[in-house]
Amino acid sequence: MKVSLNWIRRYIDIPADLTDEQIAYDLTMRTVEVEDVVNTAEKYHDIVVGRITEIQAHPNADLLKICIVDIGEAEPVQIVCGGSNLYEGENVVVSKPGSFVVWHGEGEPVKIKETKMRGVPSYGMICAASEVYLDPFFHDDDERVIVDLGDTPCTPGQNVAEVVGMDDTVLEIDNKSLTNRPDLWGHYGIAREIAAIYDLKLKTLPHISIDRDLPGFPVDIKEPQKCNRYDALVIDNVYDKESPLWIKSLLINAGMRPINAIVDITNYVMLAVGQPTHGFDRTHVVDKIIVRNAAKGEKLELLDGNKLDLTESDLVICDAEEPMALAGIRGGRKDSILPETTSIVLEVADFTAETIRKTGSRFDEKTDSSIRYEKGIDTERVDLGISVALSLFNEVFPEIQLVAYGSQYPVHTEKQIIEVTQDFLDRRLGTVLEKDEIKKILTRLGYDIEFTDNGYMVTAPVWRSTGDVSIKDDVLGDLARLIGYENFEAKPFPVNFEHAVRQPKQNLDRRLREYLAFRCGFNEVFTYPWIDEKFIEAANIDVSKAIDLATPPAPELRHLRQSLIPGLLEASMKNLRYFDEFNIFEMAQVFEKGEMHPSSDEETLPMQSMHLAGMLVGNDPKMLFFKAKGVIESMAGYCHMEEITLKQETQPGWADNGTYLNVIMDGEVIGDIGIVSVPTMNNAGIRRTSIAAFELDETKLVPLASRNNEFKHLPQFPLVEEDLSLLVDEDVTWESIREAIKFMVKDLQFVEEYRGKQIPDGKKSVMLRLKIGSDEGTMNAKQIDRKMKGIISALQKKCKAELRDE
Amino acid sequence: MLNRLEEIRKRGLEKIGEAADLDKLQETRRELTGKKGELTEVLKGLGKLEPDEKRSVGMKANEIKTFFADKIKEREEQIIASQSALDEDIDVTLPGTMVPGGALHPITQMCYDLNDAFLSLGFEIFNEDDISSEKYAFDNLNFPPDHPARATMDTYWIDGTENKNGTERLCMRPHLTGASVRYLLQHGAPARFVYPGRVYRNENTDARHERAFFQYEALVVDKDLSFSSGKVMIQTILEKVFGRKIKVRMREGFFPFTEPGYEIDMECLVCGGKGCRVCNNVGWIEVMPGGVIHPNVLKAANLDPDEWSGFYTNIGLDRLVMMRYGVDDVRLFHSADLRFLSQFK
Repeated sequence: MKVSLNWIRRYIDIPADLTDEQIAYDLTMRTVEVEDVVNTAEKYHDIVVGRITEIQAHPNADLLKICIVDIGEAEPVQIVCGGSNLYEGENVVVSKPGSFVVWHGEGEPVKIKETKMRGVPSYGMICAASEVYLDPFFHDDDERVIVDLGDTPCTPGQNVAEVVGMDDTVLEIDNKSLTNRPDLWGHYGIAREIAAIYDLKLKTLPHISIDRDLPGFPVDIKEPQKCNRYDALVIDNVYDKESPLWIKSLLINAGMRPINAIVDITNYVMLAVGQPTHGFDRTHVVDKIIVRNAAKGEKLELLDGNKLDLTESDLVICDAEEPMALAGIRGGRKDSILPETTSIVLEVADFTAETIRKTGSRFDEKTDSSIRYEKGIDTERVDLGISVALSLFNEVFPEIQLVAYGSQYPVHTEKQIIEVTQDFLDRRLGTVLEKDEIKKILTRLGYDIEFTDNGYMVTAPVWRSTGDVSIKDDVLGDLARLIGYENFEAKPFPVNFEHAVRQPKQNLDRRLREYLAFRCGFNEVFTYPWIDEKFIEAANIDVSKAIDLATPPAPELRHLRQSLIPGLLEASMKNLRYFDEFNIFEMAQVFEKGEMHPSSDEETLPMQSMHLAGMLVGNDPKMLFFKAKGVIESMAGYCHMEEITLKQETQPGWADNGTYLNVIMDGEVIGDIGIVSVPTMNNAGIRRTSIAAFELDETKLVPLASRNNEFKHLPQFPLVEEDLSLLVDEDVTWESIREAIKFMVKDLQFVEEYRGKQIPDGKKSVMLRLKIGSDEGTMNAKQIDRKMKGIISALQKKCKAELRDE
Repeated sequence: MLNRLEEIRKRGLEKIGEAADLDKLQETRRELTGKKGELTEVLKGLGKLEPDEKRSVGMKANEIKTFFADKIKEREEQIIASQSALDEDIDVTLPGTMVPGGALHPITQMCYDLNDAFLSLGFEIFNEDDISSEKYAFDNLNFPPDHPARATMDTYWIDGTENKNGTERLCMRPHLTGASVRYLLQHGAPARFVYPGRVYRNENTDARHERAFFQYEALVVDKDLSFSSGKVMIQTILEKVFGRKIKVRMREGFFPFTEPGYEIDMECLVCGGKGCRVCNNVGWIEVMPGGVIHPNVLKAANLDPDEWSGFYTNIGLDRLVMMRYGVDDVRLFHSADLRFLSQFK
């Protein structure tokens, strides 16, 4: 919302030493967020009033004239001008050299220089309205018509912004910060806040009481719970004319285009007190006003001939025959003010917030009127609206006559009465304020305060009583913000030593991420929970258990992820444009149909669990697989969690035939590792590379209560290290070799596997390194020999291994 | 004879100086003081000399022997000191061997920095699931029944539940605040806890708007808490995270779940409060909405608002990270683009 400080000045006298910036700052701190402070006079810099004292013919051009112009300086200046409406004694608008004008009203502003036109020197330019942002004030149907200020009060040399009222400062207020304050949607409300902040006097608005003897105008409210009040004023002797300059400039600075005086006045009332009003051409309204719900199948005809389909919950303003307007939101064809309009029915009404919000959101329509009603306006605002409207009509159309008046007022906004104890304020404010101080502050905001034995009986102003202020905490809030949050001494927290934070699972989550990032060289990524179905299909994931979004960002993104693999496939595909080798991981929730009750039995949520997944991208699938396996194998040790084991049980949909393992905990599969299969890679659009992937159900991982590092005594006697090179059948696994001899050695490591020329078909060579030793003493050659023989014979027996000749 | 000894000393000293490596020096030692060395020869011939001469020559020869031993030792140290472990010269300006890359997401980094700060003040960490219900996301939090945020234009509702109500209408949580009631229902009061996480809004995206983004919320519930304690907490936290005092200001704000509500702005770190493009020339950045927990929210958590009070602080993690590093497009956080992510170590 735009707030004109000139407008505010109509309601309060702003002290000379209070700058516009200071007002903006204090409003931001106390009331609403001011996003910008705009000086509207800036673009009129060096554009001044000039009086043409003499007009001479141009020696070299018939259409140009040489004007001698008084611009308030010591000497008159000479300006060459092609204007078609020049005359001696005319007050015109002069752009002095150095000012900026919009050439012929189009394009970027251009800087005016002292120049020669057809050989004759010209000091600046006499302007047309659209060239100097004056088109809302003065019409120029022909581009050769320059602004004739006529009898507008002005003096030569005076800045033109001042003449038309554009010497203003506009505060741009973030509408979001106003949502809870229906009283601030007009300048009077903002003025009241400024007056309260600086303890200034707020002027009262004109009060015009309506002659009780006026003929009535029939108003019939059928839905009093939706329309709490409806006043209709029939005003004769209006006509199509322009508003005075001061109304135009205030409207412009408040962000509204002047249209004609009748419409401008209705807009002015709304921007002044926040009360929307509506003018109907009297001749369009058949007999009376009826406020009712639309009938089934009823339509509202709009100005452009289109018809709006109404439902039975839409509140409409009707005459005796048909709907004329959607209450509080927009008018139809019948409510238009036309050039030939001479008499109007002025609606000043109160519709409830809920009604307007519902219908407004159904039509997806927000208007200046509906955004105000949506906030909840009190019924007494109608009186303010009527008074401001009538005083303006009287000023702009001295000949008008109020010929009839109708009012229905079934529901009055009740002022909220709230009991606030002193104790409550003292405790929650963290400071003790004087009773009189509290009364003074709240009174400035319009509250009525009565002292009671232990505090206050507070009556909220009617303009805050539509929901904004209803409990004692609201009163506290008003006090705190007006005193200023920065003015409360900050109180430190009490310390207690009873509650040490101990959250092993939280710690494990962090260790897992740090393990992958810092020890294993993975980059953490985040992907969206909604996944392109292309990648879900590529990963062979069954979507029958997927949770879908009702209104997804795009149709192909409707499924929420059941696994992190599809998202990481997409991330890998994208990164392959720039990198050949990389490792990424993600820890995030996945979703699936099912039931869980995190907080109460009445709430059933789908299954949601934290998953941890990673991908290693590169060229050597075997190496990638074993890297991934190493990451999982070392995880428990480094992250201090209960052991997980790896075993081949069920093939994940995305994994290569054979090259996969399942992660097992307590006999249950809680995750997978594998090489991503060729079909999955093809369907994901990934080529000429390999990916090893893993995914774990992180919720199943169990942190240890503490670190489980174990101290063992250093060996007392030296160990003997031996390398063995074995020839075994292809189907003999490392695991079977290890199982065969692990109880006989102090340490056993795999060194390498080899197939080649010297190795017969169907066989492979396996090299291992082992350490043997005795706890009783240093082994001698004989003991070593005996132990090695035992190991070799165990390998022969259990694995049919032969020793290769070195 | 004594002249000959002086001659030996002089030549010997030259030879020691000329020995270029330890082998040469060993050879020189043998030549000078070995069994067949000149000095030994002299000492062997002592018997033939007169007793007086014998004594002075003997003394001289022994003195030279010690002298040689010292000089050889000295030279040996010199040679060792000048040796290199490498047998070639290397270009020390060549790049070092890379430490394998890998990093936490910048959002996670910021989240952990905040966790460290809050844990040091005795806060617990709580996680809520991403899918919540209207009851927890809106009803409990004092959102009016027809609040616009409840519309499908703003919130991602789960297919099939969008026309239901309360606990049966499910959504991707639009903010973290719903988690506060879940925690309080589980743990009661007093409580101090943080609940970081990702939230979702049905929005059009651009450099400043995202559909999925990160928040970090903290709540303290205790008896007789005054809202001004909130300011101390924020200052402490920011100071811990950024390693220096950060100016903050607290101003009026409105949220359904607070009364009073406030916005906490921090001094713009890019311009130091002078005003720049990042802070829209005001010198302040709005980072933390907050406020005193609304009595209706306490009631939803089964707590008596006359007994308990507390305050929220909600930190926009994306915004704080953008601020910390000058990142100008919020969509980068979900891009999974390693060209971006690998910049944050």
